[in-house]
Amino acid sequence: MTMLKELAAELIGMFVVERRLTISVLAIVAMVASLVDFIGVAPLLGGAALLLGSLTLLVESVLRGARPPG
Amino acid sequence: MAWFTALPAVSAAFLASLVEVVEAFTIVLAVATLRGWRPAAIGTIVGLTTLAGVVLLLGPLLARVPITSLQLTIGVLLLLFGLGWLRKASLRAAGVIPLHDEEAIFAAETAQLGSQQQRVHRSLQWVAGITALKAVLLEGLEVVFIVIAVGAGRGLLLPASLGALAACALVLAAGAAVHRPLSRVPENTLKFGVGVMLSAFGVFWTGEGLGIPWPGQDLALLLFASLFLAAGLLGSSLARKLSLGFA
Repeated sequence: MTMLKELAAELIGMFVVERRLTISVLAIVAMVASLVDFIGVAPLLGGAALLLGSLTLLVESVLRGARPPG
Repeated sequence: MAWFTALPAVSAAFLASLVEVVEAFTIVLAVATLRGWRPAAIGTIVGLTTLAGVVLLLGPLLARVPITSLQLTIGVLLLLFGLGWLRKASLRAAGVIPLHDEEAIFAAETAQLGSQQQRVHRSLQWVAGITALKAVLLEGLEVVFIVIAVGAGRGLLLPASLGALAACALVLAAGAAVHRPLSRVPENTLKFGVGVMLSAFGVFWTGEGLGIPWPGQDLALLLFASLFLAAGLLGSSLARKLSLGFA
């Protein structure tokens, strides 16, 4: 049972390294999907938003990690 | 199959597996050193068999999922996974969090098994076997995910699996030769590189799943990888300055 819990924790931990980063990535994907599918924005623009958004989130998350907590 | 399609998938699977197998090997070696090779080998074989079962079970199931849904789901998961690795590797490169130390992990694992040895007298072999099994399963899960993620979207499951198996063989051969934790493997550099590749794959698959026609098709992966590499290095450099400012 303990091993199953550890496996579950490992699985979740693989994708949720930092909660804020995970939520932000999911939000960007949802935003791009809405822009392309519902608003009719050119798919390439959506792709650029996805790429630039992910790059920005990465840098922001690393910088947040370097700040002392509190 | 074009080489520039297969190469990133195979190398991502190979390098990611190298990192994970080195970590699992350290714990299996600690078990073998303290309790002998039998429980270590049994735990490892049971762990590898379970992981192979997961791949064999998931492979045919994934073939039934519509390709765009598969690309979107795997793309998002890869993006989350890759950015997580890249974030951690950037922070380690900046000196904000300590580097992964295989020697220290080996010592800690040996000490923990040693303390269990004093407490549990009858089931030592069992505890040692379970420890090896757990290490192989926990580290192997990431390998399985990466193999499936980089392989399933374009029918590259077999080449990606071969990349992972080659990493296993390399670590086992090196481990058998030196009989010590493989502490000289540049783990953070590998993690950084794999994080870059997985993040690039993540954006690529997510975009494909959303119907985005990437210019240059698969070659766009190279551009994405270059940009994630630059962003990771920039983040690491800024993080180092920031942490020094707070020190």
